Order: sequence, then C-alpha cells, then structure tokens
Amino acid sequence: MLPAVPASHFWFMVAYALLVSIVFATLLKDQRREQIRTGAMMFGAFIAAAVVFGWLMYPFPL
Amino acid sequence: MATKSTTAERPRASAEPWRLVLVSVAAWLVPGAGHLLQGRRDKGLVFLVTLTFMFAFGLWLQGRLFPLEGSDPLVFLGAIADRGLGLPYLFAYFADAGAGTVVAASYEYGNTFLMTSGLLNFLVILDAFDIAQGRK
Repeated sequence: MLPAVPASHFWFMVAYALLVSIVFATLLKDQRREQIRTGAMMFGAFIAAAVVFGWLMYPFPL
Repeated sequence: MATKSTTAERPRASAEPWRLVLVSVAAWLVPGAGHLLQGRRDKGLVFLVTLTFMFAFGLWLQGRLFPLEGSDPLVFLGAIADRGLGLPYLFAYFADAGAGTVVAASYEYGNTFLMTSGLLNFLVILDAFDIAQGRK
C-alpha cells in the first residue's frame, strides 16, 4: 500500500527542482565535480526563483 | 589551395546506421540505456534512476497519462511528452495506472512530473545519439 500523497506544494517543487537539476547537470557536464557544482547552482536557482516569484505574486488575488 | 584537414576541423566518422537506431531505441525504451550501451556507466545509471523515479513519482501524485487525441493540441502534446519513457510508460499503460485524479491537490504536479520525465528522456536520447555519432 502506497503512503498517502502529501499536500505540500513547496516540497513538490523542491523534489521537481532536485530531479531536473540532477538530470541537466549530468547531461551538460562530464566531470563529477562540475556536475555537482552545476547541479547545486541550478537547484539553488530553481528554489530562489520560486520563492521570489511566489512573494511577487502574493498580492494578486487569484 | 587545398587545406590540410585536422581532426578538430573534420567531423568524426558517423557510426553505422544500425548502431544509431539501436542506441536510440534502447535509450527510449529504458532511460539511460543508450549511455550504458556506450560505456557511459555513471551517466546511464543517473538517468535510469532519476527519470524512472520521476515518472513513478508522477503516477504516485495521481497524474494522468494523456491519450493521443488530435482534437485537443495541448492534450496531444502532453501525450507525446508522456511517451518519452518507453518501457515505464508501457508498464503503466498495461497496469491501468495513470488514469489521473483531477480533484486531487497533486494532480497537476503529477502531470508535470510525468511530462517532464518524458521530455528529459528525449534530451537524453539525443545525447546518446550524439555520443554514438562521435560528436561527444
């Protein structure tokens, strides 16, 4: 039996950012050190952009 | 005046067509298989684990595997993206998974995970193809 699906939008976004960053970093770079660096930067950029845009959209009643 | 061509200037000889087809089909069926077949073990394993997990995660989040319907272009494009992972898609299709629960809070996230895993695998297939051609 699968566990119940959590309802945290933030953690869904974190999981998405992590997985996409891993794949892109592996695709784009060949050296392990570069892959880790690129992946970490991409992951950080994903999260930072999501938080910033989240706050920018906060005043809009959608 | 004829110039001397160097290895850097001249593209390397392409692989045999059957090999390109084999690598591409294998990479579509099993994420990372194209890299594994060509000795890129680490990359292949990362793609295999990450993309398969992403697809399974999308199903768990109650996403939908869209049907190939020409009447709705967005659904059609989503369906193409869903089919980016060959065997995982076929397993899910024959197991009747991916019906999608529209009222679930995670439905759109599930769709996003499913489609993105397929689209990323298309990029992985192209990378494997480039490696087989000797471009990388």
